[in-house]
Amino acid sequence: MTTPRELLESYLDDALGESETARLEQELRRDEELRRRLLAVMGERDRGEHTVGAIWRRHRLSCPSREQLGSFLLNVLDAGLRDYVDFHLRTIACAYCLANLADLQAQQQADAAVIQQRQQRVFQSSAGLLRKR
Amino acid sequence: MSTASDRLLVQQIRQGDERAWEHLIARYEGRLFAFIHRRIKDQAACEDIVQDSFVGFYTSLPNYDDRRDLQTYLFTIASHKITDYLRRTGRHPLQQTADEGGELFLHKLAEQTAASSVARGQERRELESTAIARALTNLLDTWRKQGDYQRLKVLELLFVKGWHNKDVAKFLDISEQQVANIRFAAVKKLGELVRADGLPADVFPELHV
Ligand SMILES: [Zn+2]
Repeated sequence: MTTPRELLESYLDDALGESETARLEQELRRDEELRRRLLAVMGERDRGEHTVGAIWRRHRLSCPSREQLGSFLLNVLDAGLRDYVDFHLRTIACAYCLANLADLQAQQQADAAVIQQRQQRVFQSSAGLLRKR
Repeated sequence: MSTASDRLLVQQIRQGDERAWEHLIARYEGRLFAFIHRRIKDQAACEDIVQDSFVGFYTSLPNYDDRRDLQTYLFTIASHKITDYLRRTGRHPLQQTADEGGELFLHKLAEQTAASSVARGQERRELESTAIARALTNLLDTWRKQGDYQRLKVLELLFVKGWHNKDVAKFLDISEQQVANIRFAAVKKLGELVRADGLPADVFPELHV
């Protein structure tokens, strides 16, 4: 299957999951023609062209809510929706939902203290911004 | 669309409320970390980029429109920071390909990543974008209410992934004709909705029947 144009668009939107990003970058390194196509897509975007797919991703039109992702993890969604969420995560590999899922999983499993410390570091080194005003 | 609770947080942060800032970090740090970790495996670097993203958000607050979805906005900032970081540290996978001037290529990439909203003709694009999003929401909601996830999957694979009919059919174990029918009906409906919004549907080649 040739690389669909929409995959290049998704790459430019940084909306691809981990393995898809890695695979595409590998191909891009190897394939000069594909790099030319990517540049062409960038040019079109510069000129203000957009695709239905890009709008769909930007508005996250089919993304389950964070609550639904939580229910998915707890395995309490009804069969139809559960199957769809699985598809959205696995086949669409939506980077935003995968990030939310990983975060929810970490909260369930990982050391809450580790996460809290990390957030404290972010807070302490940025709260000064609010005082400088 | 931003939630009421996000809008309130932003409002409080604009007034210099540190507690609100702490809440914002608690709410979004984890998912940003995971989003960044997808591209960058180094924990310390991830933390730095999360940090940079929050600082970037704070700095851009005067230009932030509350109606924009906060989470999407934060992810967009993080995307920029990821590309910046990879470029700065010479680790961007495309940096080794120096044809077409690799540096220029990456510079463009840094500019463009997830920032499609700065292109020329912004206003017209915004109108088109809103009309399409509204039409799609309308269509997808109908299907979701009916529990018809099959159509949703077909359309998402076609539009979001750019798959061909035959690949969609094979993957979902249905006939190519069924895929073609779903596409045809959806495109027809979307065209009607977009035109009802007062816009020509033919701006998007994907919506040509
Ligand atoms: Zn999603």
